[in-house]
Amino acid sequence: MRRLLTFLIFLVAIGVYFPLCQGMWKSREQSRANTPTGYMIPSKFSRILALGNQGLLSDFLFLKIATHVGTKVGMEQPFGEGDWRFVASGLNVVTDLDPYFVDPYFLAEGLLAWDAGQPELANQLLAKGTNYRRNDWRLPFFIGFNNFYFLKDYETASGFIMAASQLPGSPDYLKTLGARLAYYGGKSKTALLFLQEMLAETDDPLLRQRLAKRLRALELAVMIEEAIGKFRARENRPPKSMDELLSSGYLHALPLDPYGGDWIMSKDGRVFSSSRFADAPPSK
Amino acid sequence: MTDITLSSVKKIYKPGLFKKNVQAVNDLSFAIRKGEVFGLIGPNGAGKSTTIRMILGLIRPDSGRILFRGKPFRESPILQEIGYLPENPYLYDHLTLLELLNFCGQSSSLDSKRIKMRGQELMLKLNLLEAQKRPLRTFSKGMLQRAGICFALLHDPSVVILDEPMSGLDPIGRKMVFDLVMELKDQGKTIFFCSHILNDVERLCDRIGLMHKGRLIKEFAREDFLPNTVNSVFLHTAKISQSQLDKVQVLGGTARNEGEGHLLAIPDEKYFQVNRYLEESGVDILGCRSEWLSLEDLFMQAVKEQNQ
Amino acid sequence: MKSVLALATITFKEGIRNRSLFGIALLSLFLFGLNISVAGFFMRDIGKVTVDMNLSALTLAGLLLVFFVGINLIAKDIDRKTIHLVLSKPISRAQYICGKYLGIQFFVTISLLLLLLLSCLTVGLLFKLYPAYFIGFSWLIFFEACLFVLIKFWVLTAVVVFFSSVTTSSLITLIFSLGSYIAGVTIEEVVFYLKTELAAQEKIISESLRTFIDVVSYVLPNFSVFDFTLEAAHGLVVTSDRLLLSLGYAIVYIVIMLSAAAYIFSRREFH
Repeated sequence: MRRLLTFLIFLVAIGVYFPLCQGMWKSREQSRANTPTGYMIPSKFSRILALGNQGLLSDFLFLKIATHVGTKVGMEQPFGEGDWRFVASGLNVVTDLDPYFVDPYFLAEGLLAWDAGQPELANQLLAKGTNYRRNDWRLPFFIGFNNFYFLKDYETASGFIMAASQLPGSPDYLKTLGARLAYYGGKSKTALLFLQEMLAETDDPLLRQRLAKRLRALELAVMIEEAIGKFRARENRPPKSMDELLSSGYLHALPLDPYGGDWIMSKDGRVFSSSRFADAPPSK
Repeated sequence: MTDITLSSVKKIYKPGLFKKNVQAVNDLSFAIRKGEVFGLIGPNGAGKSTTIRMILGLIRPDSGRILFRGKPFRESPILQEIGYLPENPYLYDHLTLLELLNFCGQSSSLDSKRIKMRGQELMLKLNLLEAQKRPLRTFSKGMLQRAGICFALLHDPSVVILDEPMSGLDPIGRKMVFDLVMELKDQGKTIFFCSHILNDVERLCDRIGLMHKGRLIKEFAREDFLPNTVNSVFLHTAKISQSQLDKVQVLGGTARNEGEGHLLAIPDEKYFQVNRYLEESGVDILGCRSEWLSLEDLFMQAVKEQNQ
Repeated sequence: MKSVLALATITFKEGIRNRSLFGIALLSLFLFGLNISVAGFFMRDIGKVTVDMNLSALTLAGLLLVFFVGINLIAKDIDRKTIHLVLSKPISRAQYICGKYLGIQFFVTISLLLLLLLSCLTVGLLFKLYPAYFIGFSWLIFFEACLFVLIKFWVLTAVVVFFSSVTTSSLITLIFSLGSYIAGVTIEEVVFYLKTELAAQEKIISESLRTFIDVVSYVLPNFSVFDFTLEAAHGLVVTSDRLLLSLGYAIVYIVIMLSAAAYIFSRREFH
């Protein structure tokens, strides 16, 4: 009799447990979504708290940052100041625990330079990396790219690209790219080549999408620029508008800006877009 | 020539900060001669185990000396010559008996051939052969005790110290151990053992020491209780007169006082004569005893005297 | 010497037949499996993550072995009075300490070597799966790191033996040994952190604390000196002078611990 009773109690408890468990997980999901960005142990203490497992802790914290970002992207939530602070400080801690760890540098480049719009922050982190990963050409390459593309500091960019070209495994054209940067500065074709190289180096599907889109936009811009160039060569003057370019036949069709903007022609023959080659921020 | 001598050995046991000190051993002196069997008996807590531990060097005495063959502990190769069986030996759970004996032999610097030979010999004698490859945690209490005896005797020591060797053994086991001790005695080994089982002590020991509250309160020799009284009949009689006692002695019996009357030890072949005499003299026979002097009585007596 | 080896042999056998070993082996298998599944979450440095996880798993297993089996190999001897039997043989207290130490050490070594075998299988498997991300991985450096994890446990075992000789309770031995381990892995970080903070003029600590840290850095074993995880993770070469220094430090520390233990043990009484 007693055994039956015990068994019945057990069954009832199991029966209650399953829905309760589901409810508990849902509630946790909600509370986690509502809590402010995660706390990162200050770098000073993380090494001590690792208790000898610095490498493992760096891996764990990196995963934590990556999942935090991934979850937000997955849930299509906007990123705020707090998020970027978390990412930046987090990646800092991770590289303090293991400065040779390459993943954080890549993540820094992808997130901080592109999404957060804080290329200087990315450069800071990448610079730390160059002290340790001395034979990794990609780190100075990224710094060079950031300087060229975001900060428009062509001289510094050139210096870093040249440094990258000296390191083993770097693509052959880096040498010429570095030289060209020094000479041509802000020409679109340079940016095109750069982007193509970045795309080749990136595995992350999200970032690849972004880069591919940017690349497409630039390719179209370059195409238009070349048409403008031909016009100028023949007519000895810049075209007055996009329509003139079209009607005069130097451009067959007006390509669509992948970012949905309208093409703008500048006085010196360069092509931009009203979209500024960026996605519109998601409406709240 | 004494194998082990204790002189005025004292030991105070300090259990802790807030508990009282206990005088475990108080001015203890005795000597064990070579080739004799010495039994140490006493109530629980008398200090017997402490004494053994001091002889083995597990504990150091606070004062007094312990000599082994005339030399103090540190200078003599004492442990090589001693075989020790503790009370309720706890052996390693996961080792087999064979591995335990190997360890015993190797630590006594025996070569492997000798270890094997002695090991098989002892295990056969103590009926442990089929269990030799089993782990010790599967052994019964009796088997563990016997295994402990193998351990103590493997290196053929000249001095054997046994603490409650019969404890936990069934009658077959006890006979085994008894025979073994007799055998060791015949081989001329010195045997020192503690036991509560007075019967065994009586039968085996040449000398017996009685300990109580850390002191050796009495020492008996074998002659004290078994004076040529093998194959004798012991009669408890009412009190008999001196002249009658003299007559009994002439006829071959021995007499001593026993309570209100007398105890007579009569050799078997003289029994009828003495009995006829007692009958003729009208002496009342109160009963029959199995032994001349009961160690148990002595024990109780001595303890009672001490407590007064 | 023969007695020492005999005692070491039975201590080793007693340890290796302990059932706890299964639990620890299972835990390690779990960790290795975890390693394989988690590797895919990382972008590039899979080699590093693999090495990190394997070395940490070996360390965890070693800690469990030393603290739960190793300590008991001495504590049970004393608790159950088996030590009376052992010391009744012509074995000196010092020989007893050495024998016990060697036995526990053999046990930890053999167990960790078996786990290392499993670990190598894991690393090999991941190497085959993601060869592109194991650039710079060197088996030699990985084995060097594993060897020094083992040496770290030789030192920890000596610490355990030392505390066992001092106290009767196995729990106290556990607490002190665990405390020594935690202090040993963090001492380097603390000392260097304090040095950099002081250099940065942030005088947050007092003079006496600094002397205390100095003394402690001599007394406690610095386990960081046996940690080559970073080098193994990134294929950085370790110079032989570093290896020799770590080895020498380990040996001297072990000798100090064991001689202190032998002396203390010789003064002890067994009731």
